[in-house]
Amino acid sequence: MAIPLSYNLRNMRVRAFSTVMTTLSIGLVVAVFIGVMALARGLEEAFVATGVPLNLVVLRQGSQVETSSVVTRDSLQVIKYLPGVAVDSEGTPLVSPEVIVLLNLSKRSDGQGSNVMVRGVFEKGFGLRPQVRLVAGRLFRPGLREIIVGRSVAERFQNAGLGEMMRFGRSHWRVVGLFEAGRTAFDSEIWADASELGEDFDRPNYSSVLIRAENVPALRAMERRISDDRRLHLKALSELAYYAEQTKTAGPIKILGSFMAVMMAIGASFAAMNTMYASVARRSREIGVLRVLGFRSGSIMLSFLTESLLLGLAGGVVGCLLALPIHGLSTGTTNFRTFSDVSFAFRITPDLLLRGLAFSLVMGGLGGLLPARLASRQPMVDTLREG
Amino acid sequence: MNYLHFIWKNMVRNRRRTVLTILSIALSLFVLATLMTVLTELNREPEGEDAHLRLVVRRASSLGDRLPEAYGAKLARVPGVRTVTTLTWFGGIYIDEANFFASFACDPDTLLPMYPEVRIPPEQFKAFQKERTAAFAGRKLFERFKWRLGDRITLQGTIYPVDLEFVLRGIYTGTDETTFFFHRAYLEESLGRPGKVGTFWLKAASAADIPRIIDAVDTMFKNSDAETKTETERAFQLGFVSMMGNIKTLVAGISSVVVFTILLVTANTMAMSIRERAREIAILKTLGFGRRRLLAILMAESAAIALIGGALGTVGARLFYSVVDVWRYTQGMFPIFIVEPSTILLGLLLSVLIGLASAAFPAFRVSHLTIAEALRRVG
Repeated sequence: MAIPLSYNLRNMRVRAFSTVMTTLSIGLVVAVFIGVMALARGLEEAFVATGVPLNLVVLRQGSQVETSSVVTRDSLQVIKYLPGVAVDSEGTPLVSPEVIVLLNLSKRSDGQGSNVMVRGVFEKGFGLRPQVRLVAGRLFRPGLREIIVGRSVAERFQNAGLGEMMRFGRSHWRVVGLFEAGRTAFDSEIWADASELGEDFDRPNYSSVLIRAENVPALRAMERRISDDRRLHLKALSELAYYAEQTKTAGPIKILGSFMAVMMAIGASFAAMNTMYASVARRSREIGVLRVLGFRSGSIMLSFLTESLLLGLAGGVVGCLLALPIHGLSTGTTNFRTFSDVSFAFRITPDLLLRGLAFSLVMGGLGGLLPARLASRQPMVDTLREG
Repeated sequence: MNYLHFIWKNMVRNRRRTVLTILSIALSLFVLATLMTVLTELNREPEGEDAHLRLVVRRASSLGDRLPEAYGAKLARVPGVRTVTTLTWFGGIYIDEANFFASFACDPDTLLPMYPEVRIPPEQFKAFQKERTAAFAGRKLFERFKWRLGDRITLQGTIYPVDLEFVLRGIYTGTDETTFFFHRAYLEESLGRPGKVGTFWLKAASAADIPRIIDAVDTMFKNSDAETKTETERAFQLGFVSMMGNIKTLVAGISSVVVFTILLVTANTMAMSIRERAREIAILKTLGFGRRRLLAILMAESAAIALIGGALGTVGARLFYSVVDVWRYTQGMFPIFIVEPSTILLGLLLSVLIGLASAAFPAFRVSHLTIAEALRRVG
């Protein structure tokens, strides 16, 4: 027969100080775990959300990112008319050749420089990226030194606000519009007219080409065809795959976070063990009474283990609550693959909270196992005789 | 009466509890030492005898753009500049992306005077200098990939559209032993001689010359096609750290949570032991022990437990990171990861403070109990 749960709950209340201390220490570990993972998650999602399924990115063979890629005008003419390229209502191919330039801008916060990606696009560049929409001002006019800026760039960097002027290349560029891109990597970019940008930076060629395929088989076929054509020296990969690669940026954060969380969790389960041992020691007489009443040693073990799991779970809930306020907090880091700044926000998702709770149960369980075993093995008569 | 002995007896009375508490504190201090070392390493000052005299000249627009190599001669003529050399980031992949390490094209003739901290046997360096496709690399790289002198290896270009094959001719030692150097002439040749350089490095004759040089260089190339940004090596390095984002706030945030956790764990332990000892404490009072002395004894016990845990954690961290190579697991972010003695000291100090603070409340309460009350208490 099982010992009722209310017995455990009452015990936890009687020893409120220990219960609160243990719960809090488990809770803090859970909060750190969720916090660091939310940081990594936010960074990953900024990239994962960026790709559009039917888009194909074309880069120079051997380069991994747009910033170090070159696609010549001749190659563009070849890939533009490949079979499988989708066309718009006027029958022109949905192909966007783009010029990418890195720009060292000073942050508003500390004046330190960071590299921001400037993307030179033609009209098609917008059509291929439905996420990007203008939220203030207007689009740049072709033929003018004008730029539109991702909202998070405008917030984080000097001279990037609407109406402000920036000096780069050989000219002064006016910020005429702000755009948002639904928390994708484009939010961290500046966009300009491709011809103007190319001219200003002496780039006779393009950096990358984005192509919309008619359907998935066409995408796969083009991917192979471009990558296998030895004259082109190009490689093509789906936009989804391209941005999935960038999520590796979050790797070190995840490693550091998991390592710390595991270390702290072991420490917290030792603390839980202390609390449970003390609890067993002080209740030895009660345990004896329970045994005399007919509860089996298995029930006693289960009861103490449950109590420890409850401690863990309470800690987990506290941890989740402590971590929640950081959700949505925005920050930025450098994607060292493209060498450009990326803004993102902490993301706490339900599955992350569940992982935090599971983690707290593991801590409670580990902390309670040995004390529970000790409780179940105490000889009945001795415990009653004590004290 | 020997108080130390008394404190010790109290500590070993419930050995299991003391050990668990010490281990719990040790693990937290280990994490704390790791976090503090992250900050130390990111801010580690450049080494080498006149590292403070080194300046970096790069393209103002961004590090992604390069400078004309002809700038080198002009830079050498700037008053106060003693030596000039170049480093060009190659960023090649060795077999697999996961093997990432730093690779630079350099000018062999001017490299060593600029970086005296790079120590390489003279005959190895001569062999490297003579051969255009030769390369030399840090000891850690040789160990990691089981390279031997004379081996041929290929780096796949990612930034440059060339794959380069090298012959390994030298092993250097120093503080950071994870970098790969090769001839810039080789890179230039395989690219069709574009005549470009990633960064120029200058050494000033004296610290007083530095501001003048920075000003002279950036003014000289102002309004040219390739404007420059010149800064000290230290500023250059701090710029990189800043690019990573707000690491300081992150580390400070997590550290304070860790400290608070230790406080909770220790306070809980002390509260439990003191509660169990209420009766004894009453007896001590009857024997004439004053409140203050009792308080001191209890707080000393708590501080000792925290200190032992702290020592285990911080010294353990130092040993752990001297065996485990952090560089390999962080995509090359930390070529050096040493828990400095100052970090250990700070950790120990924190432990003692936490120990004292956590015993304060329960010890204060029990030392203020009246004797009758304490004796009446049931465990």
